[in-house]
This record gives sequence, structure tokens and C-alpha cells, in this order.
Amino acid sequence: MFSKENRLEKFKDAETVIGSSIKVKGNFQGKGNIVIEGMLEGSVKTEANLFIGEDAKVVANIEATDSSIHGEVHGNVRSRGYLAIGKAARIFGDIQYSEISIEKGAIINGQLVAISESEKKAKGRKEEAPEETEEQE
Amino acid sequence: MHVYIYDDYLSKSKYSRAVNRMEIRLTDLGLNGKILRLGGIKNIKTAIENEIRLGAKTIVAVGNNQTVNKIVGAIISADVYDEFQKKTLLGIIPIGEDNSVASSFGIKDEETACNILLARRIEKIDLGIAGNQYFLNQAFINSIGTTIEVNGCKMETEERGEIRIVNLLSDRKEKGNFKSSPYDGMLDIIIKTRKKDVTFLNARSLSISNDKEKLLIDDVLEIKTPVDIHILKGAVSVIVGKERIFS
Repeated sequence: MFSKENRLEKFKDAETVIGSSIKVKGNFQGKGNIVIEGMLEGSVKTEANLFIGEDAKVVANIEATDSSIHGEVHGNVRSRGYLAIGKAARIFGDIQYSEISIEKGAIINGQLVAISESEKKAKGRKEEAPEETEEQE
Repeated sequence: MHVYIYDDYLSKSKYSRAVNRMEIRLTDLGLNGKILRLGGIKNIKTAIENEIRLGAKTIVAVGNNQTVNKIVGAIISADVYDEFQKKTLLGIIPIGEDNSVASSFGIKDEETACNILLARRIEKIDLGIAGNQYFLNQAFINSIGTTIEVNGCKMETEERGEIRIVNLLSDRKEKGNFKSSPYDGMLDIIIKTRKKDVTFLNARSLSISNDKEKLLIDDVLEIKTPVDIHILKGAVSVIVGKERIFS
């Protein structure tokens, strides 16, 4: 198991870094680690890890493996692995996670759902649907 | 057979010593070949095509970044480019100023260049293409008023700074900061602003536009925007030195 510190070390090897002076608009998709310190509007998706700095403002749905959020996010967050929410983070949207830590001072305005639970619910709905059609026939 | 293409400015007296030193060193190393002078060539593309058809093994640009840029452009657009890729190498002998391209390849001066030609250490390098111009190192533009369209996104900044589209780093000090490689089939976009923040990402292609500023190619050529930029993977085989910036 990785410790919290080891996991966050991974961000230092980022393939993409959006600096604090930069504004990005569009659907950003990548395979490597992404660090956002500036403004992004649209969507962000990576197969790897995502770091959102304190000065960052993201108006987008975001999806990553491990995530570390310290800035402002207006949109839904889906972190397939570990999600760390820092004390300066302000998240306005629903959050899906496998593991989570939230520092005192963080602001979250949305639903928190553990991914394993939501996947179970979705499976349950799919299993019920075929039984209903059989009854109708 | 080596074909040496001399830039026009080398005929000035201030470069005569360097040219003599180079020619003596080439003779000592048994690397003499045919000499062509850019000023005497009406059509550089045709001249290079002829030399490749005649079996030239190495085309050597003798001059600076501008010389290399002209010759690479002629080679890539030549009808015999496929033949060039299979059989012919590009060499560089830097003389004078504006030699960041040679420096990236670990080629410091004319005498070192001759030794490097003899050692024949070869690397297949990507080439950046901006519009119909080619670059080995980078394309540069000021950040104010510039819009970059890349990977499905638009990027802008209101801060003063510089935007570089890098194929091959020219500053050794940056080597540790950025994972940039001249044969990964990717262009590196590096934005540095006055606020000292850095943006870095890579892409196979992008577009740049700026109403007022021009794009500077390999420190020698300015072109207007909007312009599409993309990478040509493994475009040129170059003879490089041990102390090149990349590995």
C-alpha cells in the first residue's frame, strides 16, 4: 500500500503542467499526470493522477486515478483511486472516490459517493431490469 | 562522399581563419569532399537532389542556424527525400554566431565538428514543421495576444512572457527541468511568464495565432500566424557529438 506522501510524490513527474497565468478552454484528455495551477473550463480526464493547486480555478468535470485538490472546482469529481482534499479546497459538485481524505477547512457542496457503492447500485439496477421484462412477457 | 554546403557569409574576411582551420582539419582527417556555395546555387533543392542521386553519403551544412534551416528545408521537400532518409546523413560545421542547433547536437566549433564527422555518431531526429518552414530546435512567440489550440483545447494568457514549441532543447540548463526528446514524435510546449510560472505540455500538432506577433523559427526566420505546427518523426539522420543535450 502506498502512504499518502508517496502517492502525492507521483505528481512531481507531471506530463502536463498548466501554470497559474494560463487559461484553458476545452476538453482536456491525457494519459500522464496533470498539474493545474491556472484556470480551466471544460472537462479534464486522465488515466493517471491530477493535482489542482490552491490558486487554480477549474470549471469542469474531472476524472483521474489519484487526485489532490487544493483549489476551486465547479463540477463533478471522479477519483478512481485516492482523493485528497486540502484545507483550501472549494468543491461545488458531486464526488466519487475509492479512498478519501479531507483536511479541516475544505468546503464541499455536493454528494460524496464511494465508487464501490455506486457501482454496486448500478449493477443492482441492471440485474432488476431483465426480471421485469420477463414478467411482462 | 561528403558534400559541404557553405553559407554566403563565410566569404567575409572575418571568417577566413575559421574556414581555413576547418579545411585543414578535414584534409588531415581524410574527409575532403565536394564544396558548394549557397550564393552560387540558383536552386538549392535541385542541387541537393543532384548530389544525393550522385551518391552523396553526407550533406554538411557549413554556417549557422540559418544555413542548417535552408538545407534541411531543401532536403525534406526534395523528390529524393526517401533516398536521403535511407542513405544520406546531415552533418553540421558551425562557424560564427547563431549556432544553437549545432550546440544542441554537442558540436561546439569547427574543429570539434570535423572530429565529430569522423566519429559518425548518428541520431534520427524529429523535425518540427510550422506552415511550410522546418525547425530542428524550436519555434518562439511572445505570449501576449497568442492563442494556442492543442489537444482539443484553447490556451491563452494575459501575462507577458514567452511561448516555445520545442523539438530539441537548445539550453543545457533546461535539460533537468523538462522531459524533452527530439525523437519521441512529440512537440513540447513551454510557456514562461513574467510571474515566473511555467506551463508544460506536449502534443503531436497544434495551431498558433497572434494578430501582432510573428513566430520565430530556430532563431533565424520569422513567419506570420495563424500557423499549424506538427512533428515529422524521424525525419533526418544527423551526425551528433558525445556532448549533445539529449540522450
